[in-house]
This record gives sequence, structure tokens and C-alpha cells, in this order.
Amino acid sequence: MSASGTRSVGQSIRFANRTIGLAGLGIMAVLVGLAGAVAPAPPDAAGAAQSLVPPSRDLAFGSDALGRDVLSETLQGLSVTVGHATLAAAIVILVGALGGFFAARLPWHCGLVLRWMARILKSVPALLLGLVFIGISGRSFAALAAGLAIAPAAFARSYDRALTLATSRHAEFARATGVSWTTLARRDLIYELRNAFLAVAARALAAAAILLATVSFFGFGATPPHRDLGLMIGAAYATARATHDFHAWWTPLFPALALVLLIFFARLAAAAEQEP
Amino acid sequence: MIDSPLLKRGRTCEACTGQFGAVKTMWRDGLRLALRLTLGLLGAGLLTAALLSLARPEIGHSLSLLDRLTSLLHGDFGVSRASGSATALELARRLPATLELIGLGAVVALLVGIPLGLLIGASRTLRAAVPLIQFAAATPLFCVGLALIWLATEGRWPLGAQGYLPLPPLAGSDLGAESLRALRAIALPVLTVGLAGAGAVETALSRVLAKALDEPYRRGLRRFGLSQWEIDLHYVVPEVAAGFAAQLGEIALALIAAAAVTEWVFQWPGVAALFVKAMALQDWPVAAVILFLFAAFKFVAEFAGALAARSLSLAVP
Repeated sequence: MSASGTRSVGQSIRFANRTIGLAGLGIMAVLVGLAGAVAPAPPDAAGAAQSLVPPSRDLAFGSDALGRDVLSETLQGLSVTVGHATLAAAIVILVGALGGFFAARLPWHCGLVLRWMARILKSVPALLLGLVFIGISGRSFAALAAGLAIAPAAFARSYDRALTLATSRHAEFARATGVSWTTLARRDLIYELRNAFLAVAARALAAAAILLATVSFFGFGATPPHRDLGLMIGAAYATARATHDFHAWWTPLFPALALVLLIFFARLAAAAEQEP
Repeated sequence: MIDSPLLKRGRTCEACTGQFGAVKTMWRDGLRLALRLTLGLLGAGLLTAALLSLARPEIGHSLSLLDRLTSLLHGDFGVSRASGSATALELARRLPATLELIGLGAVVALLVGIPLGLLIGASRTLRAAVPLIQFAAATPLFCVGLALIWLATEGRWPLGAQGYLPLPPLAGSDLGAESLRALRAIALPVLTVGLAGAGAVETALSRVLAKALDEPYRRGLRRFGLSQWEIDLHYVVPEVAAGFAAQLGEIALALIAAAAVTEWVFQWPGVAALFVKAMALQDWPVAAVILFLFAAFKFVAEFAGALAARSLSLAVP
């Protein structure tokens, strides 16, 4: 196959990835928006059904140990997870991506100091850093903590890219011809937003969803009755472990599937720009 | 070919200059990397000291940031707020379990990740399709661990989540049976860490390989008459190996993150699980020192990888 032929196949696959990813995220957003109307039972409605009923025609996703409808709980959990992950992703974009972009243009090598600090924070897994931030701020601020924990990686990536742009030949030429610092930065920012915003935002959403679900699974994230998907999976596992009874596979499986789909679609949307 | 004594001397001088230049570059790069490592460790120390400063004054941690950093440099890691024992002792007790997990997980990661990385990196189309076919990669690690536990329990696998059994010493009367028991106990956690590490290895390798295969010098060298095999063996392989070695720090980080989740899911008595417990109890001295340990591990891996990458780059003719 010719090089151009191969490239077009790759580009078509990437386009398909992005379309599937964005469509999936869109469907999830609609589900989250209509969770209250679509869910058969209100959130945290214990005793709505018998305990640990397997999936059937009446209860599509079965019921959990407290007799709650797993479908309603999963929709509710998805809403909480998506809400928190979106907030965390917004913090990653603001503090990480935009922070890195502007830090690369700071005078007196201030950006270098910030890049060094980002490198130090990046040397610790985001999960552990997130736990530290939650330890400092409290569980109510888990989304903020998750965003701040993921931000150093986004900062470093954005800083390096912005530095390449700021020291590129077109930038030198523009400065030599009298184009101001702000005009050049504004132009680069517009290009960055156009070319990389979707990928950065989707990548941040996926990372935030993973981090938030994991900290909730550990017991550091969402608090009942606002249960997110991680807490639901954790509760199902804790019940199975305590009773040594792992037969109720549906209680962790459906929340886990919802979580995996959210991350999968976000990664698909993010991957579109990864291979130029 | 003209082979006059003058030309011979010229070539020898060129070779000497080249070798001298390479050694000089190696020294300069080594020093630069050492400085980077020192700065990294210093930053990790400052982060640790800042976290220790968070500990409340009433439990005896009212030292300033600088004092705290000085005491850290003197090996004083403080006292655990939860257990009352020295933090260093707690770490020493739990570190072997984590190192076993990370070490064996790294082996699995390399065994799975290298073939996958080579396969994906060599095909542009496959690379573009990777996000679509990697549905499994979107699964959070704690879900993977839980799925393995569920499969082992319901499928009655001999590799259950049986809790930690230390690997036996190499000399012992019942070495075979003990080793088998320990390996059965560690198999699922190692598989979990290994799968996460394999993802990191695959990503690093496929990117480096894809970049190397797209380099224009491959076509140029073909025009000079070198066979594809010679070009790949003498140029592409060292370049890919160097690029992969440069990613060692990121792979180490992925393994640490995986160990943290795995230890919690499998109730493994390692350092990472201790960190989560320390955070739950607001035991800052323990949490801070574990963070320093992990950051130092990452920086040292990054340093070793960068050094290996420089050496491999110099090996390219």
C-alpha cells in the first residue's frame, strides 16, 4: 500500500475513533441529564426490591444487598461521576494546560521554576497526590483534589509545547518584525485551542474519571447518599468480601461497565489528536 | 582507494577526535543528568518537608520547613502518628512486599508489553486503531483486580487472593512447596501490576518504534547500499532501545501507581497500602516519607534510563 494510502486509512480510523468517542460521550451526557426521569427508582431507595435479585425483566440490572435498583443507582452514580470528573477536567485545563501555556512565556525564567515544581509533583502517581490533596482539603473537595493532582502532567506537556512554539522560527520572525508579545501569545493560544483543546479536555476527563472512581473505591471520594460509580463498586466488593459470597456479580458489574464506557469514549475522543 | 600515510594519519586523528568528543559529550551529559537527579531529589525532599510541616504541633512536628528538610537529610524520618513507631522501621518492614510486587510485575510487563509494542509500533494502521481495540485499557486497575479475584473465586482457580506470603529464602528444607505457595499467593497481584505496566511498556515502545521507522535516514542509508537488515540492526535497534530506556522513569511511575491500587485491592501488606492507611488516619509523617520514597524511585529510574539512553545513542555508528 502506498504511503498516502496508508495515511488515509490511519486518518479515517482516527476520524472514526473521534466520532465514536464524541457520540458516546454525548449519549452519556443525555443519560446523565435525564437520569432523574429515566431511572425507575429514586436514588438511594433502599428496600425498593428484594435483596440481591439477579437481573430480570422487572429489574434490568438486578438489586443490591439493600434492595436498591442497580439500574437507578448506576444512572445516579454515573451522574455524580460525570459531574465530578467534568469539574476536575476543567481544573486540569485551567491550572494545567492554560497554566503551562502562559508559564512558558513568563519573564525572568519564572516558568522554569514552575516547570520544575510540576516535575516534582509529576514524579508521584496522580492517585497518591490526589489522596494527599483530599487529606489536606477534605472529602467534599475530592473533584478539586483530583483536578490538582492531574494538573502537573498537563502543565508539563503544555509548557513544553508552548516553549517550542515561543522559540520557533515564526515566533522569532514575528518578534523581529515588531509583533507584540501579547499578539503572538494570543495567536498561539487560538491555534492551541483549535488543535489540541478537544484532546486535552477528553484526556483530562478520562484521567479524572479513573482517579475519582479509584479514590471513592478506597473510601476517600464521594459520600453517601451521593454515591459515585467507584463507591458503588467498592460497596459491592466490601459486601461480597464480608459475606464470602461472590455470586452477586451484577452489583459491581454494571457500575463498572458504565465507568469503563465513560473512560473508553473519553479516550477515543482524546486519541484523535495523538497521532499527527 | 587511495591509502597514503598522510590520509591514514588524518583518519586516525579524526577517530581520536571523535572518540574524545564522544567521551566529552558523555561526561557533560552525565553531569547534566546528575544535576537533574539532584534537583529532583531536592524537590521531593522539599515536598516531603512541606507535608511533614502539615502535621500538628501537638504531636511534636512543629519544626520549620528548613529544619524538617535538615532532619530528613540526617535520616530522621519522624515517628508514625498511628503506631508510634519510627517511620523508617515501618517502611523497612513493608518494603520487601512492595519490591516483590513491583519487580515481578515489571517482568510480566516486559514479557507482555514488548511484543505488543513491537506489533503496534510497526503498523501505522494498527496504531491508529489502538484506542478502539484497547477497550481493556480503559478499565480502571481496581476493576481489573476485582475481576481477577471474582474469576479466581468463582472459577476455583488455584491462584486465589490468599493474602501475602513472603517468598522463601533460597536455602530451606521445603523450598519447592513453600515457593509454590508463595507464587500462588502473589500470582494475581503480580498479574494486575504486570498488566498495568504492560500498557506503559507498550505505549513507550510503540511510539519510539513508530518514530524510528519514519526516520528519513533509513531511506538514505538504503541508497548508500546498506541492506535493510544492517540498517535496522545497527541504527534502528539502538535508537529504539535508547528511546525506550529514556521512558524508564514513566514505566517505573506506572508500576508504582499500579502497586498502590493492587496492594489495596488484594490487601497486600506493602508500602503503598500503608500510604493509603496513613492518609485515612492523617498520619502525615508516614505518608510524606512514602511519597519521598516513590518520587526518589522514579527519579533514580529516570536517571538510569537517561544514562542508558545516552550510552546507546553513542553506540550508533
